[in-house]
Amino acid sequence: MRVRFFFAEALRSIRANAAVSVAATVTVLIAVFILGAFIPSFLYVQSTVDSQKNRLDIRAYISDSATVSQVNGLKTQLDALQANGQVASYTYVSADEGLEELRGRLQDPSILDELPSNPLPAKFTVIPSDPEQSDQIVASLQDSPAIDEELGIDYGEETADKLLTVARFIQWAGLGLISILLVASILLIGNTIRLSIFARRREVEVMKLVGATNWFIRWPFVIEGIVCGLIGAALAVGLLWAVKITVVDTWIQGADSALTRDEATAIAFPLLGLMLIASGAIVGALGSGITLRRFLKV
Amino acid sequence: MSTDAPSTPTEPDTPSSRVRERARRRGESLRSSDRRSVLRPGDGPMVILDGVSKEYTSDARGLDDVTLSIESGEFVFLVGPSGSGKSTFIRLLIKEFEPTAGSITVGGRNLQRLRRSKVPYLRRSIGCVFQDYKLLAGRTVYENVAYALQVIGENPRSTRRKVPEILALVGLSDKSDRYPNELSGGEQQRVSIARAFVNHPRLLIADEPTGNLDPETSIGIMQLLYRINRTGTTVIMATHDREMVDKMQMRVIALENGKVVRDQRQASYARADS
Repeated sequence: MRVRFFFAEALRSIRANAAVSVAATVTVLIAVFILGAFIPSFLYVQSTVDSQKNRLDIRAYISDSATVSQVNGLKTQLDALQANGQVASYTYVSADEGLEELRGRLQDPSILDELPSNPLPAKFTVIPSDPEQSDQIVASLQDSPAIDEELGIDYGEETADKLLTVARFIQWAGLGLISILLVASILLIGNTIRLSIFARRREVEVMKLVGATNWFIRWPFVIEGIVCGLIGAALAVGLLWAVKITVVDTWIQGADSALTRDEATAIAFPLLGLMLIASGAIVGALGSGITLRRFLKV
Repeated sequence: MSTDAPSTPTEPDTPSSRVRERARRRGESLRSSDRRSVLRPGDGPMVILDGVSKEYTSDARGLDDVTLSIESGEFVFLVGPSGSGKSTFIRLLIKEFEPTAGSITVGGRNLQRLRRSKVPYLRRSIGCVFQDYKLLAGRTVYENVAYALQVIGENPRSTRRKVPEILALVGLSDKSDRYPNELSGGEQQRVSIARAFVNHPRLLIADEPTGNLDPETSIGIMQLLYRINRTGTTVIMATHDREMVDKMQMRVIALENGKVVRDQRQASYARADS
């Protein structure tokens, strides 16, 4: 019975303060929309970078003069690294296989036919578990006598370093931006709610004088905050959905690029939507509940 | 509800017990005001101030060492010029703030010892009427009065019964759907009195209730307060309406610079000998 009264009170005040309620709802809508557009974009970029990171392999070139036992020694080292988890996998690529691989990558493979002999050395292709640890793997393999002295071990240091720097930057910048956005939207919503409560502080004062307890006054405000938060967030999610199916999905389908072929993923839309709507409601409830505290001290 | 109205088979025949008895015979519920009330039932003094001072700042003094007692069922005028401490007196009674010194007892309750969380219950047992009416602007007359009942958790059915009753008492039955800004000052004050009295508090405090009203309207408000007093409710009314006080010949407590300069029964606004 109380619950019904509080809901009735909340709806009454939403109607009575329509302009402010609309302002609060629109504030939530904008904040949630920006967050909702930014979070999946960030996750998508990050997972793209991650999948690129996983392609960083180490190529250990084997000297033509290496003996079979030297090569087997290198193999034993790799087995050990795989056993302790630093190496995800490795494969032996013979000189002939290497040439075939190169042939497959070239647009005009016929130029290879002009070669008098196969210039490629045999190699081990090593995929590290964590690209950030490539340095250590290279260091431990470097001294093996099987390694070709001139070619050595190639792991695309520069590319790897650049990619890893970018990955770290995106990760921190993204987290920073999301935090700033979150704080900004909470402040913005809190401010709008404060405005609405400030406009009604006389009403709160009168309620206190008639003997209303703090929670009796607070509940309708909290419910009002939840309703505005829910409506604003739901509208934002609806808008995001519309943008997703009209713009993003067609763009992804139309673009036959690395983007679509990657295993890069963002986040399932229903999950994102639920999270956004829930946070809208929570921010609304907390915003009005906490802001009201200042005006309850009569 | 265990806090019953006091059963008084051996009650001494005091004026206040007689009005209580009258009220009971008329079937008026004295009980609802006791609902979760923090006031103790009984016919002792309704208000006791003992050496009460209130300093706002070191040189702004609201009350200065006031000691007095007001019996249950009394009608008391609190008079004095602006700034004499009338409003401070009233705001102390509803624990809007604490006195700097001294102790205040309302309905047998020492207010200093009343926890902050109990203050709403104190205010429910005290009806308050203010010069500026303090009505909720977005609510109709009916809803304003009903709010006071909803606050104490009255069930909807008895709210629907009690509100029209009290609106009839203050003569506003035909205006229950109006909003406060559609009413005259006198009508708004009647709504405010209806709200203050709808759960039959044992104490009703009025701070300059006729301060914004013309003399004729004031008389109507005064009669209403007097009628409420006759049901056994203690009424404390701060005013500087000289004519009204002289006409009523009730107890007068005169304040000046925060001190009680006169406390006289059946008195006029000014000192009788001046």
